Amino acid sequence: MATTPRSGGSGSGAAQRPNGTSQNKSCQFKLVLLGESAVGKSSLVLRFVKGQFHEYQESTIGAAFLTQTICIEDTVVKFEIWDTAGQERYHSLAPMYYRGAQAAIVVYDIQNQDSFQRAKTWVKELHKQASPNIVIALAGNKADLSNIRVVEFDEAKQYAEENGLLFMETSAKTGMNVNDIFLAIAKKLPKNDNNQGSVIKPNGNEPTQTTNNCCK
Amino acid sequence: MANRAPMLRIGQQDLKCRQGCGFYGNTQFDGLCSKCFRERNDKQRKKQRASEDHEALYTGASSAGGTMEHKSPQHSLSLGRAKPKKQPEKEQPHNETPTASSTMPRKKFTVPAVLQKTLKNKLAVPQQPRVPSATEKQFMLQLRQLRIPDDAKRKLKSEIQRLDHEIRKYMNNNSTKNVDELSDLVQNAYTRVADIVHNDQRFEIATNEDRDSAIDFFEKVVMTQNHNLLFSPYFTTDEESDIKVQKRIRQLSWITAKHLDCSIDEVNAEARDLVYNAISELVGIDSYYSPQEKLLCTVRCCRHIFELLKRSTGGPASADDFLPALIFVVLKANPVRLHSNLNFVNRFTNASRVMSGEGGYYFTNLCSAIAFIENLNGESLSIGAEEFDALMSGEQTYSTPWESALLACESLHLISENMKCMEQLQKRNSVIATGIKDFERELIEFQREVTEKVDTVMAKAPLTLLPIKTPPFLISQARAHLSQDGVEAVAGHYQTNLLSGGLGQHQLSAKSKEKELATHEDSHLEAAHTLALKDTSIGSVGRLSPLHQNLPQPDQLFASPIFNYTPFDAVSLLEESSENGDVLMLGSEFQGGLTNINYDFDLSDQSGENSVADESKLNLDEFDPLVQQRQQIASTVPNSAAELSLLDTTTDSLIDCDVPLAGALLPSPLKPEVANYRGFSNFDIPSISCNTGDFSSLNQDVNDPGVPAPSNK
Repeated sequence: MATTPRSGGSGSGAAQRPNGTSQNKSCQFKLVLLGESAVGKSSLVLRFVKGQFHEYQESTIGAAFLTQTICIEDTVVKFEIWDTAGQERYHSLAPMYYRGAQAAIVVYDIQNQDSFQRAKTWVKELHKQASPNIVIALAGNKADLSNIRVVEFDEAKQYAEENGLLFMETSAKTGMNVNDIFLAIAKKLPKNDNNQGSVIKPNGNEPTQTTNNCCK
Repeated sequence: MANRAPMLRIGQQDLKCRQGCGFYGNTQFDGLCSKCFRERNDKQRKKQRASEDHEALYTGASSAGGTMEHKSPQHSLSLGRAKPKKQPEKEQPHNETPTASSTMPRKKFTVPAVLQKTLKNKLAVPQQPRVPSATEKQFMLQLRQLRIPDDAKRKLKSEIQRLDHEIRKYMNNNSTKNVDELSDLVQNAYTRVADIVHNDQRFEIATNEDRDSAIDFFEKVVMTQNHNLLFSPYFTTDEESDIKVQKRIRQLSWITAKHLDCSIDEVNAEARDLVYNAISELVGIDSYYSPQEKLLCTVRCCRHIFELLKRSTGGPASADDFLPALIFVVLKANPVRLHSNLNFVNRFTNASRVMSGEGGYYFTNLCSAIAFIENLNGESLSIGAEEFDALMSGEQTYSTPWESALLACESLHLISENMKCMEQLQKRNSVIATGIKDFERELIEFQREVTEKVDTVMAKAPLTLLPIKTPPFLISQARAHLSQDGVEAVAGHYQTNLLSGGLGQHQLSAKSKEKELATHEDSHLEAAHTLALKDTSIGSVGRLSPLHQNLPQPDQLFASPIFNYTPFDAVSLLEESSENGDVLMLGSEFQGGLTNINYDFDLSDQSGENSVADESKLNLDEFDPLVQQRQQIASTVPNSAAELSLLDTTTDSLIDCDVPLAGALLPSPLKPEVANYRGFSNFDIPSISCNTGDFSSLNQDVNDPGVPAPSNK
């Protein structure tokens, strides 16, 4: 993973954006963030997209919808990240968001057992209702506070393995594993040769269903 | 242009604007540069505004060129007709395919033609004005401006026409209609067009952006043209849903930001302005024809909300904050034809638009906000089900600041704000009132505590003046001495009194905590006593202090350990040291002992200290001459005592008793301070600060016999 060329910070990914004449393949993926409120979903994304934790740029108007482009093995992968409201009362609205998503990150807080249980519910729901080939990653956030953890690493790891999820403990504060989890998702996502227009087909067909050439 | 002769080769001149302004002209602008074209356009539009569209169409169709060519649908037709003439000279240098530009406009023109035909045949005729010719014209221009090859434009146009036709055909056939079928029809057309744009060779040289804009254009034209047919079709229940959701939102008008757990400050004027912006955008969604524009409107609305949240939370807002805020805005906006609009976008826009991209994200949020509103219950607002029902039915009223703010009447709003302000003031007032009460209580408590403390201290350390422990023979001796010498009765009495008092104090201190010191002190005192006794016999003590040479020895000795003046007298000490070793030894010992005693007094009983300080001062400074004048044996002790008697009336009664009551004597050590102060006021020094400038008071002062203090002095 460390050897993969990547655009960790802000901007460098955009520089590699193909301008139509580029020979690089390009894919666009919709990634949904799920997880209880205050587990650090948006911090995680802001860290990934802007490379920052507390210091927000003036231009960052909202952290609910963000895009980031990364380069992976000659392929330009553009992530379109959709944040969802984590409050229990909005739980039932989530299917609207993950409709047509190719990837999902389910975030929980390692200091909060409830958030882990909620994460499990999300995973179950995604397996049941989302597109079958959706790549799901489980992120135990706030790993910088691992000395006061409640959810054990092994417990989460085992759960992730049982359910075929990518798993990492991340820290939006220190940046630990933040880029890595997105890269892991990008690697696992199927990439076809077509450019972005066909990744999400206009008639709503799931492109992930047609191809299955996973990198992993 | 029509009157020019066709030529094979064209010169530089022919590429320039026909008006001769020096800029290059464009075939799309009729051989004019863009500026001249617009000017001429405006002129002609004004001229021809009056003429009816239908008429113009037919006349335009029959008569080629000239005046009609700039009216949008007619313009394209006339261009088409004029093709053979202008084509060779204009088209060739620009395009590989010579017929492209001319064919394209004709196809474009067929859209309204088809439309018109269908409208004429069917009942849809009255809806026709919804698609004004101005829009047509705009589309024409836009199509021309698309940066794709002209044959690609032609292809695009034919696709537009085809879909247009399909929609009309579907709408016009008599079979039962299903909106999903219609939606599929449109979506399939989109897929087809996307496929063409991305894979057709005619689009080969176009960039991705150009392809996208071509697809956008396709969608926009078709949707705008057919908006009246596709928006809330009569065979759907959209309208009922609109009314239903509108009614529900009206019922939910009592919801505040607090219910939704969102951080919008309803009362803050700045926040309200941003909410208004968001609301106006949200309401504005209905006023656009094409799904793209509706989505853009949604995006603008959401950006306002983000701006709002950014100000209230400080950082970029996450979905956790955003969705509640959007729900709040939707509730307060109550946009018209909400469902119709959402369904229109959902059914007829390119599905990728609502599934991805910023517009798609915000649209999804809007959809979920409405879904939430439709399904919300007490639980989702964290209030009880009963309360929710009561609020919904209107049984329970709930006034929100937002409601009042929404009222057009600004004064009402002002009143509500004032009332809020008053409420706050009232709250603060009550806080102050309770604070005052508390303070009062505290004061009383404090007073009580102080009294209690004083009482306990007094109980702990009562100033009991016990009978003097000095050997009775000494007292009698002293009395005898006093009477013998013919001392003033007063002085003598005081002396006795003070002697006993001093001893009482000493006992008091001995009783107090520092037992060690006390005992130490006691031993010293005893030493002093013995010393005193010794000294009496020797008769040297009188010499210790030059001031008190005539002092009767027993008195002096009794007073000295307690009141601490003679032995501390520097002069006396010096004398001591110079005179005899015996006395010196004793004296120094004595002195140390006395220091201790004195210190102890200071700590244990302030009243004792007071008297001591007064006495020593008085003794050394003021009263010396007095003493000498009186030619008294009286030491400073009796003198100070005499002063005490002047100040303290109670002492008079005590003088006579050998063993004064503790309670009666208690005030006396406390009083000197007060008495001293009063002593000054007895002189009636006028308080100058009070009465300066006030003549009436001055007069009074003058008249007052006691007042003239300056004269007194």
